[in-house]
Amino acid sequence: MANYMPLDEVLMVIALASYVVGALALLGYFFTHEAWLKHLGIPLAIAGCAAQFAQLVARYELTHIWPLLNLYGSLSLFAAMSVLLFLIFAFRYKLWFAGGFVLALAALFLAYGVTWNEGVMPAVPSLQSYWAKIHVPLVVSSYSAFMLAFVLSALYLVKFYFERRLATPGGAATPAAVPGGAAVGIRNDTPHIAAAAAQGDGTAQWLNTLPSLAQMDVLIYRVVAVGLPLLTLGVITGAMWAHEAWGAYWQWDPKETAALVSWIVYAIYMHLHTRNQWRGLRSAWVSVIGFISIMFCYFGVNLWISGLHSYKM
Amino acid sequence: MARRTTGVLSSRDMLRTLYGDFMRTFSNVLFAVLLLLVWGLMTLVGVVVEQGKDPSVYFQSYAAPLARLILRLNFDNIYHAPYYVGIIGLILISLAACTFKRVIPARLPPLRPVNIGKIPLNATVSVRGTEASVRARVEEFFTKRGWQVRKREFGGTEWTFADKHNWARRGVLVAHVGFVIIAAGTTLYWARGFSGDTAIVAGQTVEIPQTHATIKLDRFRYVVEPIMTKTGMVYQPIDYVSHVTVVGKSGVPKNEIIRVNHPINIDGTLYYQASYGFALRLNVTHDGKSVESLSNRLYATGEAFQIPGTQRTVQFSQFVPTIDKQTGQPSSDPRVNDPGAVLSVFDGGRPAGAALVPMRTTVAIGGGWSVEPEGYRMVTGIQYRYDPGAVLVGIGAFVLLAGLVISFYLLPARLYVRVDPGSASGGEPSRWDVGLAATTVKGYDIFETQFGELVAEFQRWLDPSTGPKASIPAPEV
Repeated sequence: MANYMPLDEVLMVIALASYVVGALALLGYFFTHEAWLKHLGIPLAIAGCAAQFAQLVARYELTHIWPLLNLYGSLSLFAAMSVLLFLIFAFRYKLWFAGGFVLALAALFLAYGVTWNEGVMPAVPSLQSYWAKIHVPLVVSSYSAFMLAFVLSALYLVKFYFERRLATPGGAATPAAVPGGAAVGIRNDTPHIAAAAAQGDGTAQWLNTLPSLAQMDVLIYRVVAVGLPLLTLGVITGAMWAHEAWGAYWQWDPKETAALVSWIVYAIYMHLHTRNQWRGLRSAWVSVIGFISIMFCYFGVNLWISGLHSYKM
Repeated sequence: MARRTTGVLSSRDMLRTLYGDFMRTFSNVLFAVLLLLVWGLMTLVGVVVEQGKDPSVYFQSYAAPLARLILRLNFDNIYHAPYYVGIIGLILISLAACTFKRVIPARLPPLRPVNIGKIPLNATVSVRGTEASVRARVEEFFTKRGWQVRKREFGGTEWTFADKHNWARRGVLVAHVGFVIIAAGTTLYWARGFSGDTAIVAGQTVEIPQTHATIKLDRFRYVVEPIMTKTGMVYQPIDYVSHVTVVGKSGVPKNEIIRVNHPINIDGTLYYQASYGFALRLNVTHDGKSVESLSNRLYATGEAFQIPGTQRTVQFSQFVPTIDKQTGQPSSDPRVNDPGAVLSVFDGGRPAGAALVPMRTTVAIGGGWSVEPEGYRMVTGIQYRYDPGAVLVGIGAFVLLAGLVISFYLLPARLYVRVDPGSASGGEPSRWDVGLAATTVKGYDIFETQFGELVAEFQRWLDPSTGPKASIPAPEV
């Protein structure tokens, strides 16, 4: 029993260090476009993610207690899943530009999670169920997807508002000055950024390396389309568990209802996304609000509001 | 007569207009979004404001005007407030209107010619060959890749229409049907289900009023483990177990064990381990003589008795499993070691004093009266529920999920293909321009990359030596 804690902590330190250095490398890549920084950041992200999953497995193997039943364990999975989902999307859709932000957030949440490590605690009776192995990973994975969607939405909004600022009278550049037009995607939706980038504006040059706003909107949609079914399945399995443990599949417990609020926000996102004129800016804002609601559901309800889900330890 | 007919017609017209306005409003996606927004905000109020508490709790927690507002607007019980149920009703109506007006009629778009150049996703591939051979290769290309190909002639020009994942257009319908099934299951519970809770003292038997099943608590056991954490000792509950004897419709007694996460089923009604507590036996004496009417019974937590001939009441306020020997105060250890009870005395309804009295210790309460906590018994809290709609709700939830997955992961798309004599062929009769345009149910941006790849593949398939005029590659980031 005495040996597992050092291994657990060593793996956690490896993960945290990998995320911090990886975040710096990928942020450097975002700002400088130096390829070696990307080639440094990707293996570090993979190493950190692998170390975290190894840590969770090791903890379970050594303690025989499902490691996701407290904030320390669930935040650990949250950070690992965020990086894993980012890596999957990055390899598929070339999202490396977002890597620095995702890894920085993962490191932040992981570091916060470590402060909740109280050692080995057996589960309280209501958590002693096979549902814990289904419900918790589903819900936490959905949070991770929404975190990635949040990062992309934030970048979308930065690019959008920077373009709008340049487009106002007296802005730095006009599209006519763009050599060759340099359209990206179906339409060149940020011509002023492209023009300012061509004139040497540093911020415009960073933002010009991002996909077009239309493409980013599609990327956000794809990530939310992973998160929402996971959250739905998480709520369904949670309800089934509640039915088994407490005698009702829905008890209007603060955690349940906060998850319902998040579900409603993302349902609004999906409904708005069916309308051409509501895609883009408005749906990006809804995605940001959705992530705020997720954070409230995750931390606000766990830490500040007492209810059936008050498992802080 | 004529005037009357006119009157009837105008009423009908008015109703028709009203119905049209109603359907237009309720099937509007933005109206549905507005309803969802209101629902979300109301639910958020329920998360932030504690539900179902005594009014005094709100006055303690909030400023008086805010507390009054909370109580007046039913924010203390918002999930059962008429306006909350009403908004869910409106959402269901909107969902039904949207399903019938938008989702079900949204069948495959008709096969019609389009202006290819005006559709954002378009490309033209120049190819050599006879018209027949080009058309045959176009058809073969799409058929081999799983596209459903149909041909139509309009004004002497043959158009090829290729569709993929058409059935996925029904994803939204499936999701909405899921919601309706969930609503049906919930309604079934409201109409025919019931739930309740009961406390059973060890050795006692209770009858469930709705089912007439009886439950006798043979024994209750709880397990708590002291665990040393980084921040100190924590007493972690490990198990709550009720050993019961139940008699259902069969009339045959059965021994059962009820634990958290392991309810028992008696004739379709589920019984859950919900809570536990302690019942206290008091020895009440007056001038040294035991008062049988007050002593020969068990008191539940919060229960009180009036001292005969006075305005005073004595309440069993709290059971303390372990009294800290050093401080004489309740210990955080929930295991029974040195138990005691907090007894409170009220005079004319006003608190007159309270004391933590160790077990088998007598405390004088004035006027020759004294009280002694004599013993205790375990109490189990059992919750029961009969829910005939639970299966339906479960099915609805998974139908909803299936609808979401179909809607999100499958992209119904249509390609419009037209073969024309080559415009840049310089009169060469064997050159043809194959024009392609794509539309999807989720706009153009989402199909941009796939369309670019499809066009490149299409070009290689038709004629590797020529290139498309406009393909849209994904930018490398």
